[in-house]
Amino acid sequence: MSARDAILGAVRAARPPAVVAPATRPAAASDQSLLIDCFAVAATAAGAVVTRCAANDIAIHVPTSAPRVLSAVPGIPSTVAIPDDPRALADLTLFVCQAALGVAENGGVWVATNDAWYRAALFLAERVVIVLAESTIVSDLHEAYTRIDIRATSFGAFVAGPSKTADIEQALVIGAHGPNELTLIVVA
Amino acid sequence: MTQRSLELPVLHSRRVDHAAAAATFTRDVPRTDWHDDALWFVREKRDRAAATVADWEALRQQASSIKEHALSHLDEYLEQFEAQAVRNGMHVHWARDADEHNRIVHDVLEQAGARRMVKSKSMLTEECGLNPYLQSRGIEVIDTDLGERIVQLREEGPSHIVMPAIHLKREEVGDTFHEHLGTPAGLADPIALTRAAREHLRAKFLAADATLTGMNFAIAETGGFVVCTNEGNADLGMSLAPVHIASVGIEKVIPRAEDLPVFLRLLARSATGQALTVYTTHVHGPREGQALHVILVDNGRSRQLAREEFWTSLKCIRCGACMNTCPVYRRSGGHSYGSTVPGPIGSVLTPGLDLERYASLPFASTLCGSCTAVCPVKIDLDAQLYRWRQRVTQAGLSSTTKSVASKAGAQLLTRPRLFRLAGAFARFGLRRMPSRVIRLAAGPWAKTRDLPSAPSESFRSWYRHNRSAAGES
Repeated sequence: MSARDAILGAVRAARPPAVVAPATRPAAASDQSLLIDCFAVAATAAGAVVTRCAANDIAIHVPTSAPRVLSAVPGIPSTVAIPDDPRALADLTLFVCQAALGVAENGGVWVATNDAWYRAALFLAERVVIVLAESTIVSDLHEAYTRIDIRATSFGAFVAGPSKTADIEQALVIGAHGPNELTLIVVA
Repeated sequence: MTQRSLELPVLHSRRVDHAAAAATFTRDVPRTDWHDDALWFVREKRDRAAATVADWEALRQQASSIKEHALSHLDEYLEQFEAQAVRNGMHVHWARDADEHNRIVHDVLEQAGARRMVKSKSMLTEECGLNPYLQSRGIEVIDTDLGERIVQLREEGPSHIVMPAIHLKREEVGDTFHEHLGTPAGLADPIALTRAAREHLRAKFLAADATLTGMNFAIAETGGFVVCTNEGNADLGMSLAPVHIASVGIEKVIPRAEDLPVFLRLLARSATGQALTVYTTHVHGPREGQALHVILVDNGRSRQLAREEFWTSLKCIRCGACMNTCPVYRRSGGHSYGSTVPGPIGSVLTPGLDLERYASLPFASTLCGSCTAVCPVKIDLDAQLYRWRQRVTQAGLSSTTKSVASKAGAQLLTRPRLFRLAGAFARFGLRRMPSRVIRLAAGPWAKTRDLPSAPSESFRSWYRHNRSAAGES
């Protein structure tokens, strides 16, 4: 018997009495103007720097001093080309990309892509800037999952703050393996 | 209802003595207090985070019901997950036990010609003993979670499932890094040490030709999975290595995408007091040019599912909250359990793998129920610990002290005259006998406790004098 059949057979024989799936939770009602403030507070608590600006001013808020920049946002120039091998992005200083939505309750933003370079840059860059339209901010994760399609791309992640660890004596250190800084630009 | 198996696991191998290991741990009193405080700090963060969610209790109930539903239809959801994962371009493997899992990982690496693998946190691979298996076959395996890397360099196991190095002080980490990573002697600053680990591990990520991750959730409906980390280590591995292996216990499958927010809202808050982990990554296929292998592992889980009294322990989402709150875990340390998953949930899951070996674990609890109160998926941990104690005793595996004391207790409590006589002796003894003698008679219970002062009469006689007359009038 194959391992598959053996395991499925054992599971079938072991099935506890059927439990009915609970009803889906209704999404919480929310006030959009409050949500933006809540989002900013939660993202800041997660260690992100939150900036709000008008659509035309995004470029002003992107650091210009970074020597090796890769940008996926129109109007923000890259200084390095998209490589074939994502490992070539190892010394990327800045990555600029876009999030499809933000979540007020936890400060997370949804970044999704099929592109290997895009995905690698999000974790390899020293600093990451994510641009987000304020109209896309939702109240909680339940609502977020009604707006996103996790199957649409091979990779999708909620990103809440810069990479961090507290594995040495519970001391919080920002910048573990991934970005040391995360800036969120919330566009009106 | 299907036939339920009541058989006990195969009995073999040497026994873990939690009480003895705990006694060694608690010998260093200041360090025990420090460990206790470190865990309690996390427990308090959890409380604050839970309090920010208005419908926390409803959320726990929802999570519990979804898991019970999923487990009671697990075969169907596993098949659905497999079919969807294959559609998403993943290779799906099945492993009955640890050996089979390790062999599959090795075969995948061999076929890809991979010699260097980076790993993110996976308690399942600890359970399977994957690292030594691969290392003995010439493969470099690097744990990349900072805590796991620290314990790997020290040749220890993790002492906690979320915070693997919670038992270590910064100076000890500094010594380990000085020895293995060449940091200056005496360097103990967590920021500097983390930077050193970052540099060391960045090189490993870039050189790796394979990566292995666990899964927090596998989604049957979509054939994808979710991996949660704060450090981004799983993501660096997945984004860079040409081969990705994702190992998962079969109990981790949930039905639908819309179930995810229920668990994600509970998981990080329960684990570390964060509203969400920094990276909550959803994988629905390999990136271009990458091979993605999923291994579905049983290793005793279908047996646990068959146990009417213990199957709900498989609801566990591995947040570690039960450990952080457990007065026994906090004051005995994760290593004292001698099992991959320590604490209350470990003491419920592990006896199912080898009852004789882990017979002492269900007793590593005060049965205070704090674990049950914080569990985000409402596992009745204290009740299951109590039931395992009964199984251990029925199998004749409880310690001699405990079985003699229980038998004597039963004799005493079923014979009123004998009970009254024993009471009179005890009152006399407590008043008149040297405390050394009476402590001996009280056994291990009196080791760290003061004996009570003897009342002048028994409750029975007090009641007769003070209450029974009043009751009759």
